Amino acid sequence: MSLRRVGILLSKEFRHGSKSFIFIIAIVMPLVLSFVLSMVFGTLFSEKPKLGVSDEGDSQITQMVIQSDSIIGREYDSADALRNAVEDGAVDMGIVLPADFDNLVIQGEMAEITAYVWGESLAKNRVVLGATVANMIRDVAGQEVPVEIATTTLGDAESIPWNNRLLPLIVLMAIVFGGIMVPATSLVDEKQKRTLSALAITPASLGEIFLSKGLVGVIVSTVMGVLILVLNQAFGAQTPLLIGMLVLGAVMASTFGIMLGVFAKDVTSLFATNKAIGILYYAPAFVYMFPDIPQWIGRIFPTYYVVQPVVEISQQGGTWSDVALEAFILIGLILIMIGIVGILARRTAQREALA
Amino acid sequence: MAGDAIVAEDLTYRYDELVAVDHISFKVAEGEILGFLGPNGAGKSTTVKVLTGQLQPREGQAIVLGIDIARDPEKVQAQIGVCFEITNLYEKMSAEENLKLFARLFGVPRFDAGALLARVGLAGRERDRVEEYSKGMKQRLMVARALVNRPRILFLDEPTDGLDPASAENIRKVILEERQRGATVFLTTHDMMEADKLSDRVGFINQGKIVALDTPHNLKQQYGKRALRAQVTSPDGGLESREITMDKPETAGAVQELFGREKVVTIHSEEASLEDIFINITGRGLTE
Ligand SMILES: Nc1ncnc2c1ncn2[C@@H]1O[C@H](COP(=O)(O)OP(=O)(O)OP(=O)(O)O)[C@@H](O)[C@H]1O
Ligand SMILES: [Mg+2]
Repeated sequence: MSLRRVGILLSKEFRHGSKSFIFIIAIVMPLVLSFVLSMVFGTLFSEKPKLGVSDEGDSQITQMVIQSDSIIGREYDSADALRNAVEDGAVDMGIVLPADFDNLVIQGEMAEITAYVWGESLAKNRVVLGATVANMIRDVAGQEVPVEIATTTLGDAESIPWNNRLLPLIVLMAIVFGGIMVPATSLVDEKQKRTLSALAITPASLGEIFLSKGLVGVIVSTVMGVLILVLNQAFGAQTPLLIGMLVLGAVMASTFGIMLGVFAKDVTSLFATNKAIGILYYAPAFVYMFPDIPQWIGRIFPTYYVVQPVVEISQQGGTWSDVALEAFILIGLILIMIGIVGILARRTAQREALA
Repeated sequence: MAGDAIVAEDLTYRYDELVAVDHISFKVAEGEILGFLGPNGAGKSTTVKVLTGQLQPREGQAIVLGIDIARDPEKVQAQIGVCFEITNLYEKMSAEENLKLFARLFGVPRFDAGALLARVGLAGRERDRVEEYSKGMKQRLMVARALVNRPRILFLDEPTDGLDPASAENIRKVILEERQRGATVFLTTHDMMEADKLSDRVGFINQGKIVALDTPHNLKQQYGKRALRAQVTSPDGGLESREITMDKPETAGAVQELFGREKVVTIHSEEASLEDIFINITGRGLTE
């Protein structure tokens, strides 16, 4: 394995493969979907999360909320008014600060606040608001203090907002389509045009050729995954972890793409195969979309282990410990697939098929 | 060391049931040009593919540049150049980009694409995309690509196929230049004149078996028939043709008789050609 040759092949893929139809589709399609989604559900470049405050005393937190740049703050005269505002979705979350709140936290005593959450608010907004409030309390207290937040969900709690439901699908499409189809079509195209046999008689090995094509898929797929999450303002707080999970997802998709490319004789049969099994890639996303489906069904599909951590981190404020199990399963799946590709690359029949 | 560049022993390749190369054994010396001739489907291209590590021998072995090609194809491939029978260039790239890509993969330092393209008669078209090339231009680029790594052995599968006479002659010149540089050349062709002119030795393959392998001169001696062809006036005043086989005990008598009996208008000797031998060997002769 020579990294120099992989680099040469990689730059060739980018300079000459990037004009291919599939490459362009892989980039354009998730963007178009995101825009369509945002037109329908109005989430793209959506507003900042909105926090309502009803202050029974004279807390500094109220001022902090109203002056904050990262959220939109509104003050309400009474707890009832706040409640109504949350119920209507005028704010995503509302907190009721008791009269002596600041003193209590400064003294380090257990304080209690009531919080209302709008049932249809975006999960990521709840995460941001929760974290913001916790930070503010710490700033006022000058220390970590125990605060009890009694949360009540108002409005239709069961109704997960549609763009939360659709985001997994779009993320999967961004990762899976480019990750699988960019390497697969590039490989099949070179088989059909026989340029692969020309590469194969240079010192470059099939393994190096597969790796370079797989890397193109990984890069395209990761970039698209990041872009889609950023565009949908669903990046969450754990940036490196999230990118790490996207990269793993991209690696799995690209390795599978190489496998498809190895077995497909021509572009037509590649597309037919992809169409036939494509539903399996997106199945976990459909499970998310319909909460009535038993959610464990998603776990049957390998892509679940990509999308679940991404959703967990970006939407529910998950951290490493929340996604570690899925991540390890994903890594296991990837290792198995890379092993298979490695064997394929060394197989005589595989080399001979090119001659 | 003027050793053997290629040593094939009992080399055999089968496509499923079909035996395409059938226990062939031969050697090609370093610096030699071996012409490899045979009818369509004889197994020429398959032999090239086995010798260049594209196909794995089913039986026997091929030692190329001292290395068992089945064991370490990549090490051999770094030192050889292959011109494929079927054009397989990156059509969306320019000629120059095609060559540069392969030069980089071979790790050639200070590669001069322009000079190489000029050698095959493509100067001035370096930057054009290959898809805009004519068939013959692509073929010449194929030959150029086989040369990027200054190979020790050149495998050329019908390199002048589809070229006009001048371009074909130019490619022959390039082949001779490469030999001059020290390269060994394994050349398949259907052009008998070309094989005769270029090859130090010629091998005939038919149905996967090597049926003759020698210098063109010896082959002609062995299989070819030289003849005297004369035109004589016939009794009714027209012209008739007479042929006398040469190099036979009765040749001298036949010539005397011709001049004694007939009115000879013209006479010339016909040299045996590889073409005759080819037909002799593959058509009627050895294989029946
Ligand atoms: N990929 C393949 N699969 C199955 N059989 C093949 C394949 N390639 C060649 N053959 C068979 O192997 C035999 C030898 O073919 P090969 O291409 O080596 O002949 P050749 O001497 O190069 O012929 P030509 O002069 O037409 O180029 C033929 O019978 C051919 O049908
Ligand atoms: Mg052939």
